[in-house]
Amino acid sequence: MDKEILLHVENLNVSYRVNGGWLRAVRDFHAQIRRGDICGIVGESGSGKSTVATAIIGYLSDNGRIEKGSSIRFSGEELTTKGRLAMQSLWGTQIKLVPQNPAAALNPSIKVGEQLAEIARYHLGMNRHDARKAAVEMFGKVQLADPESVVFRYPHELSGGMQQRVVIAMALITRPRLLILDEPTTGLDVTTEAVILDLIRDLIDDMQAAALYITHNLGVVAQVCDQVIVMYAGEIMADGSVKKVFIEPIHPYTIGLLNSIPKLGQSKRQGALQSIEGSPPSLKNPPKGCVFAQRCPAAVEKCYTEKPELEHTHEGRLVRCHRWQEIHSGVLDIIPETQADVEQVERLERESLLKVENMTKHFGVRRSLMEVIQGKKPAPIRAVDGVNFGVQKGRTLGLVGESGSGKTTLSRLIIGLTERTDGEIELMKIKIRSNVRERSADVLAQMQMIFQNPQNSLNPYLTVGQQIRRPLMKLAKMKHDEAAQEVYRLLRAVNLQDDYASRFPGELSGGEKQRVAIARAFASNPELIICDEPVSALDVSVQAAVLNLLARLQEDRDTAYIFISHDLAVVGYLADYIAVMYLGQLFEVGYGHDLFEPPYHPYTEALISAIPVPDPSHVSQRIRLQGDIPSPRSLPTGCRFHTRCPRKIGAICETEDPPWRDDGEGHFIRCHIPLEDLQAMQQQLVMAEASS
Amino acid sequence: MGRFMARRLAFFLVTLWMTSVMIFLLVRVLPGDVARVILGRDASETQVEAKREELGLNDPLFVQYFTWITDFVRGDWGESFAFRGQDIRELVTQRLVNSARLGLISMLIAIPVSITLGVIAGLTEGKLPDNLISVFSLSVVSLPEFVTGLFLINTVALKWADNPIAEKIGWFPSSSAVRADASFRDALPSLWLPAIAATLVLLAYIARLTRAGVIEEKKSEYVRTAVLKGLPYPVVIFKHILRNALLPTVTVIAISTGWLISGLVVIEFVFGYPGLGSLLITAIERRDLPMIQAVVMVTVSVILIANFVADLLYAALNPRITLN
Amino acid sequence: MQFFTPTPTLVGLRRSLKAVGKFARELFSRPPTAAGTLTVLFFLFLAVFGPQIAPYPDPNFQKNPSQEAPTLNLREFRLGDYPFGTDRLGRDVFSRVILGTRSIFRAAGLGTLIAVIVGTFVGLFIGYQGAWVDEIVGRIIDAILAIPALLLALVIIGIIRNLNFEPNSWQSEVADNAVLIVIAIVYAPIVARVVRSATLEIKSRQFVEAAQIRGESPLYIIFREIFPSVIPALVVEGALRFSYAIFLVASLGFLGFGARPPSPDWGLMVSENRGGLYALTPWALEYPAGAIALLVIGVNLMSDGIKRTVQKSG
Repeated sequence: MDKEILLHVENLNVSYRVNGGWLRAVRDFHAQIRRGDICGIVGESGSGKSTVATAIIGYLSDNGRIEKGSSIRFSGEELTTKGRLAMQSLWGTQIKLVPQNPAAALNPSIKVGEQLAEIARYHLGMNRHDARKAAVEMFGKVQLADPESVVFRYPHELSGGMQQRVVIAMALITRPRLLILDEPTTGLDVTTEAVILDLIRDLIDDMQAAALYITHNLGVVAQVCDQVIVMYAGEIMADGSVKKVFIEPIHPYTIGLLNSIPKLGQSKRQGALQSIEGSPPSLKNPPKGCVFAQRCPAAVEKCYTEKPELEHTHEGRLVRCHRWQEIHSGVLDIIPETQADVEQVERLERESLLKVENMTKHFGVRRSLMEVIQGKKPAPIRAVDGVNFGVQKGRTLGLVGESGSGKTTLSRLIIGLTERTDGEIELMKIKIRSNVRERSADVLAQMQMIFQNPQNSLNPYLTVGQQIRRPLMKLAKMKHDEAAQEVYRLLRAVNLQDDYASRFPGELSGGEKQRVAIARAFASNPELIICDEPVSALDVSVQAAVLNLLARLQEDRDTAYIFISHDLAVVGYLADYIAVMYLGQLFEVGYGHDLFEPPYHPYTEALISAIPVPDPSHVSQRIRLQGDIPSPRSLPTGCRFHTRCPRKIGAICETEDPPWRDDGEGHFIRCHIPLEDLQAMQQQLVMAEASS
Repeated sequence: MGRFMARRLAFFLVTLWMTSVMIFLLVRVLPGDVARVILGRDASETQVEAKREELGLNDPLFVQYFTWITDFVRGDWGESFAFRGQDIRELVTQRLVNSARLGLISMLIAIPVSITLGVIAGLTEGKLPDNLISVFSLSVVSLPEFVTGLFLINTVALKWADNPIAEKIGWFPSSSAVRADASFRDALPSLWLPAIAATLVLLAYIARLTRAGVIEEKKSEYVRTAVLKGLPYPVVIFKHILRNALLPTVTVIAISTGWLISGLVVIEFVFGYPGLGSLLITAIERRDLPMIQAVVMVTVSVILIANFVADLLYAALNPRITLN
Repeated sequence: MQFFTPTPTLVGLRRSLKAVGKFARELFSRPPTAAGTLTVLFFLFLAVFGPQIAPYPDPNFQKNPSQEAPTLNLREFRLGDYPFGTDRLGRDVFSRVILGTRSIFRAAGLGTLIAVIVGTFVGLFIGYQGAWVDEIVGRIIDAILAIPALLLALVIIGIIRNLNFEPNSWQSEVADNAVLIVIAIVYAPIVARVVRSATLEIKSRQFVEAAQIRGESPLYIIFREIFPSVIPALVVEGALRFSYAIFLVASLGFLGFGARPPSPDWGLMVSENRGGLYALTPWALEYPAGAIALLVIGVNLMSDGIKRTVQKSG
């Protein structure tokens, strides 16, 4: 605790000029970061966390300003009064930013080696030759394979994970004393994210730098940070060591956040998720009292009228709440026991609703002139390659996979937005056509879809009511008046008031838009709804409410779901049955909880191990996948996973397609390793983890 | 790269072919009775019939098209009606050279000036230099070529007409009606004024697009990265911003050849300069259909070649395309 | 067929009025845009009420036919019979400039409008349909656009003019409106291309897919789902085309391919009063030239402002 305080932020207030007025995006921010510590700032969109980062680094956008009285001291020096030239040398050597989107942060027309070497030349006084050598060395340090050739590549020739390593290398080459990481792993797959997080942690430890880690992901904070600051609507809600804040949260918002994320293996049968209802206040007219009061389950009258101060607790943490002492002492319990209103029997067999057989989609590749002349046909992109599965009435099939696994293509094949190359779909024992335009209204009415991005899935120029009314009239064949009444019923079913019917999507928050999209999907009372990453664009607190809503509607209307997500915990929460997809094929299928206990497929194992768990006491099994997902244009032979498999057993994996192995109770794994062996190996790891 | 070039080449040829069909339809089919149009309303029916026979107008359309296009590709463009039986190809190439002189001079002036103006405006977005440049380019864009042309004649040329020095050097004559086969040296003095008028056509256009490019790149995240690397401001501008911002300018310049050619038609007419544009106007006025066809074909070829070259240049400069 | 759900029309009307009002307020909040828009409105007013305003509603009125010499105007506005002086034929330049607005707005405005309408339909259709329709129509558009607008216009007008038509037949109507039609022909492909690329972008949005999976007809999707989102791009492009169209009409008039004498066409007035290299009556040329420049500046300022407003709200 006696390490030197490197960054000391006091009373930081930041405003943005919007439409002629100044909106205060960050209010009274405080932070102290010591050498060698990683401090996380966690918050949802609009919490002001990124503004804090840009203010500290001194690069606010043109319409932003730091208010008078704010102080940012970097090893004793005040940064807010420094001019651009003084900042320039600090930026070059001492304070570095690792930005969110590496693809955009790299100059597209300069080789990555030069983008790194120029820093060494300007700030370390190296000549061209030495700088190039330093670049190669640094690329080696961030574990880029073959650094000698990577330096000569352009950013677009690198994968997302490699680009992020380049950006990290650029930040670390001058051995800075302060690193600011702005959601550095947000666009990456979990398996890549896990590797990058390990790398960041190790490198920062090694350099004894201080770091500020900005993220919306509580799991990442728990895994990487020492300290954490929880922000909401521009203010600090709580701050303290990660252990304290996560294990004994005393702020209602922190408690709400932690409980709103489904834990790995948690199922809807164990109860509804605790959601934080409502949405953050607008910056235009911030509430007089506590900014969180409107959404707080513990709010009393005082909370609406009087703004709570940021108080020090005896444990050296900060909290902004009128009632933290009651929560701390256990007098006030704000986690309500929720009853699960869902069917409790997991292994309930019901009649088959949808059968998908040998579903295949090969995207053709344009032939080049040479190939046409030579009569060659380039290999097609095998996005989905012979997938079989079924969905039962009123049940949920979860589909998990990383980007490039083909899960979205599969969903589009089923709904008919993409035409299949091969395979059959049977809905209620009737074969249905490939293209959605050729399907009858009856088939369309039975199968609907909820899309990933609520921003895009509602027409901005039609009112909510118009958009829900349309499928009612078109598919449910209702008359106009009847449909108008049904619109209100549907809105209420998704917890929206009647007056939303006359609003335009632009006037709705992300969560509200997704509710409207859900109402629209349910309008024709379909048997099956395909949910393509329906919560991935939403903040965690909103995500929980939408998941609860989906679970409740399924129970009420006995609708089946195909639920697609990259997030294993989210899928595990909602699904009765889960399928794991990799490179266009299924590799494991089983009942919900089967997936989270050995034996599992080595790929599933790696996925589970990679997920950052929002529990600082959790020790990860450290199974890491090397390299990137191979291109579906040139698929690996034999088992498609063998290039990255940590449990590869030998040549057989490279040459032969693995068999499906069945435990006789509905759990299938496609692997060359027998189930018993898998179980034995994986059990060992789980034991080791438990004992440590 | 080879594949990209092949694709662009195929695209170039297809567009050229389709445009030739378009021109053929426009000039040979739209008028209805071509022979009548050429000979005028007073010609007798037998004269018209003879002309039809001579031009092969009694053949089916596709035969006519095929004959025309093969002759054209072979270089046999026929004889002009308006210019007393002169060989069209000779006339057109001679005028093309004249127009090219004018066009190239104006490009040589316009490109560096407009890029500099555009870059300055982009870097000082919303500040005084940007506003001045914007006002300037807006006024230039808003003046038709014939207005600027006449303005130049009335102010520069007529003012200098009495100036003995100017008279001696021979610069800025008010008429650019040089002999069509004049050498570059002889023609140069009369080129300046029309070239300035043509420069103004390009100037604002390129400057505005360059400005937009610079502003877009300036706001990109990689420029933030470059600034936060602590690089000196000039390095950020020249190495990081301009390299990407000026890439599209290559294409813009190519696209502006079409723009320039339109402008040249008017400018040549105003100054009486013997270029392709004034040839076209004469041809249209005298209903010289084969000449119209030839001039338009040549113009379109020039434009498409410019676009093709720009595509290749863009690809060569842009690493993101080269390796696709 | 019912493409438009019968929504409470009053609510819809009020909302669209509100949107238009907001758009107008945004437009007038920036001084340059406001100045440009007012300039355009001023000329539009002249175009509509020109004959009522002009001192000599007959453009060819000569006060004293015997007196052919022009009234001298020392390039300054003088109150009196001829504020802008007279041209070589003794006609009032002031009246002719005012009366000329109508022909400019007719050819450029109406021509652009037709180009926008035709281009929108074509662009929406090929953009939504995609595949070979898009490929073929796209190539045709490319071929047309390879010919510079002015050249294409000159050739078409040159040919149409030389055709022999029965007086008062529809063909002669076409020939009389050649400039207007040419503007439509020349700019429709450009508008189509802009609308096409906007359509392509919007087509991939998920609300369009949502419409597909509830079995909406292509016509419904194109006009009800996609078209509203295309409008912003269309407004920007339309304003830009209008300014180019004014240019083109003026240039055609100047080159002698637009309105025929003795019409009070601005381009034609400039060329008529040029009289060789030394203009005898420079003012008779300067006022119409200035009018062209003023109108184009106005339209450009306005279209710049429209673009800003659209980008801001979009």
